Amino acid sequence: MNWFTLFPLIMVVTLIIMGLYVVLFKKNLIKIIMGIALMQNGANLFLVSLAYREGYVAPIWTSAPSADMVLPTPHALTLTSIVIGVATTALMLSFVMMIKKHYGTINSDEVRRCRE
Amino acid sequence: MNVDLLTQSPVFVLAIPLLFAFLTPLANKVSKELRNAVFLIGLLLTTLFVSLMAYEVYTMGSWIYVFGAEQPTTGLTTQSFFRITFLADGFSVLAALTIIITALGAGIYSFGHMKESNGLGKFYTLFLLTLAGVNGMVLTSDLFNLFVWFEVTSIASCGLIAYHNDRGESVEAALKYMIISVIAGLLLLFSIGFFYGEYGVLNYFLIRDSMTGSLIDILAIGMVMVILAMKASSVPMHMWAPDAYSEAPEPITPFIAITSLGSLFVLFRLLFFVFRGAVETSAIGSILIILGVLSMFIGVSMALKQSDLKRLIAYLSVSQIGYMMMAVGVGLATLGTGDYGIFGARAMEGGLFHMINDGVYKALLFLSAGGIVYVADTRDLNKLGGLAHHMPYTTFFFIIGGLSIAGIPPLSGFSSKLLIYKSVYLYNPVLAIIALVVSIVTLALIGKIFFNAFLGPDQGVGKKIPRSMILAMSILTIVVVLFSLFPNYVVAEIVVPAIEGLGVGA
Repeated sequence: MNWFTLFPLIMVVTLIIMGLYVVLFKKNLIKIIMGIALMQNGANLFLVSLAYREGYVAPIWTSAPSADMVLPTPHALTLTSIVIGVATTALMLSFVMMIKKHYGTINSDEVRRCRE
Repeated sequence: MNVDLLTQSPVFVLAIPLLFAFLTPLANKVSKELRNAVFLIGLLLTTLFVSLMAYEVYTMGSWIYVFGAEQPTTGLTTQSFFRITFLADGFSVLAALTIIITALGAGIYSFGHMKESNGLGKFYTLFLLTLAGVNGMVLTSDLFNLFVWFEVTSIASCGLIAYHNDRGESVEAALKYMIISVIAGLLLLFSIGFFYGEYGVLNYFLIRDSMTGSLIDILAIGMVMVILAMKASSVPMHMWAPDAYSEAPEPITPFIAITSLGSLFVLFRLLFFVFRGAVETSAIGSILIILGVLSMFIGVSMALKQSDLKRLIAYLSVSQIGYMMMAVGVGLATLGTGDYGIFGARAMEGGLFHMINDGVYKALLFLSAGGIVYVADTRDLNKLGGLAHHMPYTTFFFIIGGLSIAGIPPLSGFSSKLLIYKSVYLYNPVLAIIALVVSIVTLALIGKIFFNAFLGPDQGVGKKIPRSMILAMSILTIVVVLFSLFPNYVVAEIVVPAIEGLGVGA
C-alpha cells in the first residue's frame, strides 16, 4: 500500500479524532454539532476511499477503456449518507435554536433541566 | 397485470405508511376530520398488510423479497446479488406484529389526546414515518438499507419527541436523543464500511456465507452490538431513555419504546442470522447476559427514587429490556451445545415471547399513565391522588398493564417470565433469582403508582377522558388478555416460527 492510497485513510482517522475531541470536550452545543459533522465527513471519506482501486478508471460503463473500474456501490452509499447527514445536522441545529430561545444559553452544562 | 398481494405484502408494509405520511398534510388542508380519517386508513391498511404477510408466512413459509426482481419469490441469484432484499419470515412477522399493535393503539389514542394541539398534520406525518422506519429496520436484509431506515426512524422520532416545542425540556430531550442516534448511525456506517471493504457485499445472506471471523469482523460486530444496545436503551447506554420517554407527547411514548424494541429485534437478527457462524457464540451470549442483568437491576433501582410518573415507567421499561437480553443471551451462550436442546431453546422462546408481550403491555401502561397526565395535568406522583373516582376504565387498564409488567400469574407477563425463570435457572440459578427479585420490586413500584395516583380522597379534576383514548387502551387490553388466555398457542404459532426464522429452531 503506497502513500497515495494511504493518504485518505489518514485523513479519515484525523477527521474522526478531531470530531470526537470536539464532541467530548467542548461545551458549546453548536461546536458539538460541528464535531458530529466532522465525523460524518470522515465516515463518507472512508466509504469513498474503500472503493478506490489503483490504476482503475471511473465507473462509467460507456466511456471506459477497459473493464477495470473502481467499485460503484460505495459512491451510491456515500451520496445517501451525505443527504442523511445534511438532514440530521439541520434538525440538530434547529433544536439548538429552540434551546437558545427557552434557556437563553447554549452551554451544555446549563441545559440540564431534564435531570432531577 | 396480476399482482399477488400476498407475496408483495412486505413492500406494502413500508409503502403504505410512507404514502399516507405525505397524504395527511394534504388532507389537513381540507379538514381535520379528513386528516384523521386518512391517518386511520393508513394505519388500518398497514395492519392489513402485516396480517397478510403473517398469513402467508404461517401458511406457505418464509421467502426473500428481492426488489426489482421479476417475481418477488425467485430469491437471490448471481445476477441480483447487489439488489436490496427484504426477509419475510417468522421473526420479521413477530417484530412487525409487535410494532403494528402498539402503533394502532398509540394512533387511535392520539385522536383524543392531541386534539387541542396545533400542527397535527405534521404530527401524523412524523408518526407514520416513524412507523415506516421501524418496519423497514426489522424487515430489511441489507446492511446499508438498515442504516437508511435507522436514520429515518431517528429523525422522525426526534421530531415527535420535540413536538411540544413550547417546553424547553422536550427540545432538550430530543437533542440528547438525536446526538446519540447520529453517533450510533455513524458507527453503523463505519461497520458497514468494514464489511463492504472486506467482502464487497452488503446483503445479510452473502455476508453470512463469506464471513471469516477476522479481527476486522470482530471490531465491526462489536460496534454494531454497542449501537443497537444503545438504541435499545440497555444499561450502561440508557441515559437518553428516561428523558425521551418522559418528555415525548403521551401517545408517542410507547412508540419511542417500540423503536427501542425494534433495535433489539435487529440486534438479535444480526447476531443469530448473520454473525453466528463467525464468532464465539458463548462469549457474545455472556456479554448479552451481563448487559441484561445490569439493565434489569440498575433500571429497577433507578426507578425506586423517581417521583415523576413517566420517568418511573421509563426506568421500568429499561429493566424489562434486560429480561429479553438475558434470556436470548442464555440461548446464544448455549447454542451448539447439548444444553440448547434442554433449556436454551426454552430461554429463546421466553425471551422472544417477552418481547411481543412487553411491547403491548408497556404501551398499555404508558397510555394509561398518559390518561392520568391528561386528566390531572401533572406527572408528579406526590401531587396526584383520587383519580379512580373519575376514571374507572383507565384504572382497570392500568391494573391489567401493571400486573402484567410485574409478572403476576394469570397475565401475559407471567407466562413469558415463567419460561425465562425456568430456563435461566438451569443455566445459572443466580440469574433466575435476580430476575425474580427485580419482578418483585417492579410489583412494589406498580403498587406505589396505583396508591398514589388512583386511591385516596377525591381531589376533583376538570377534564374527562375522550372516548378514543378509552378505545385505544381497550384494544391493547384485549390483546394482553388474549395473550394471557392462550400463551401456549402464541408460543407455538408466533414465537416458535420466529426462532426457526433465526435459523436456530430446536
